[in-house]
Amino acid sequence: MGLATFLERTWSGITGLVKPRSASSLFRLADQFRHEGRYEDAAELITEGLRVSPNIAVGHLLDAYLHVVFREMPAAKASFRRVLALDPYHPRALFGLARIALEEGDIEGCRPFLDRAIQYFPDFPEAKALQEMVATWTAPAAGASTAIGTISLERLRLPSGAHDLVVTQADGTLVFAQGSEERQKHLGLHMTQVYRIASATLARAGLGAMRRGVIEGAAETTFLRSDGGVILGVALAREVEVGAGLVQVGRLWTDLNIKA
Amino acid sequence: MADPQTTPDSIPPDGPAAPRPSRAQAFRETLSELTRLDGVRGGLIVTPDGLVITSELPPRFPVEALAALAATLGRELELGASRLERGAFRTALFSADDGTVFVGGSPVGYVTVVADRNVNSEGVRTALGRAVDRLRGTWRTSPI
Repeated sequence: MGLATFLERTWSGITGLVKPRSASSLFRLADQFRHEGRYEDAAELITEGLRVSPNIAVGHLLDAYLHVVFREMPAAKASFRRVLALDPYHPRALFGLARIALEEGDIEGCRPFLDRAIQYFPDFPEAKALQEMVATWTAPAAGASTAIGTISLERLRLPSGAHDLVVTQADGTLVFAQGSEERQKHLGLHMTQVYRIASATLARAGLGAMRRGVIEGAAETTFLRSDGGVILGVALAREVEVGAGLVQVGRLWTDLNIKA
Repeated sequence: MADPQTTPDSIPPDGPAAPRPSRAQAFRETLSELTRLDGVRGGLIVTPDGLVITSELPPRFPVEALAALAATLGRELELGASRLERGAFRTALFSADDGTVFVGGSPVGYVTVVADRNVNSEGVRTALGRAVDRLRGTWRTSPI
């Protein structure tokens, strides 16, 4: 704990002996700390505030936000639901649950939360952005081709060390993927979601449709290419430079005879 | 201060929190270093819950909408890296005909940079990597 925090807490302890802090003042300070990135301090105040007044929606909302920051999604979901139990139309709680549904891949579950949030709080640009993004997502057509395995790896100029080659359609239909059935499923879903969300982000920034992507992980780098209809992804060694990786993906794109 | 019960919390009515020698200061400095790079139009740092910690974007830019999308994209990149066992997600870039969006991941949140079409991608990616390392440092150290 730093000197400033120590002095702040000592002072607050002294003043607290004279007059206990109200839950609302605790939540107000917690929100200020949250805006400053002081999450641990904010969490302490929220816990204290909810102990004093467990039925204040804003306390549970702040609690949910901090759980999201700490990537504690089940706890965040529970806290957002507590907010809705106290205020069924709380737009921020509805938005929070929509985002969690989205990252769980539950698109149909996400939509009603966004619709309700905007219904009760029309001036809500964040919710509108997600609503517009999700509105463009279509499910794979019934009976859509999922011709996994029809692509011959021998005919591709697959770079040395390349793996997790995946080809999907923008609607999520998996065309081809390497690996086990479980991995194919994860690869297809992830590539589709990254493409969709990145495309929405680029469009919102006024830059156009996504054409190429590079995702650097601790162990490897994933390269993406798309023409808006088909998405190609492949993982290469982390040391591969961006330009070289994109050239290699371009060759694969040509080998797969995908017309850009 | 913003009332999270009724107000979109990414735009507190009294403006951003006052500067302090804290994580908030580190966030601002980190973003400022990135937005000074050639070809970079602007950027923002957003927490996983979508709160804009700091932003430097051109006027009339849809900050709240971009923040919501950037946080959603950052989470998907984190989750994908975890599910596919690719190690922690560090940086990403997505290019379109008229420009590129860069995203850096850290425990604190996601750094998003909007750049021109002809930006030096490798240069921004390197700088973004440094920014991400710095944010990771703020997460490990005492906030004050």
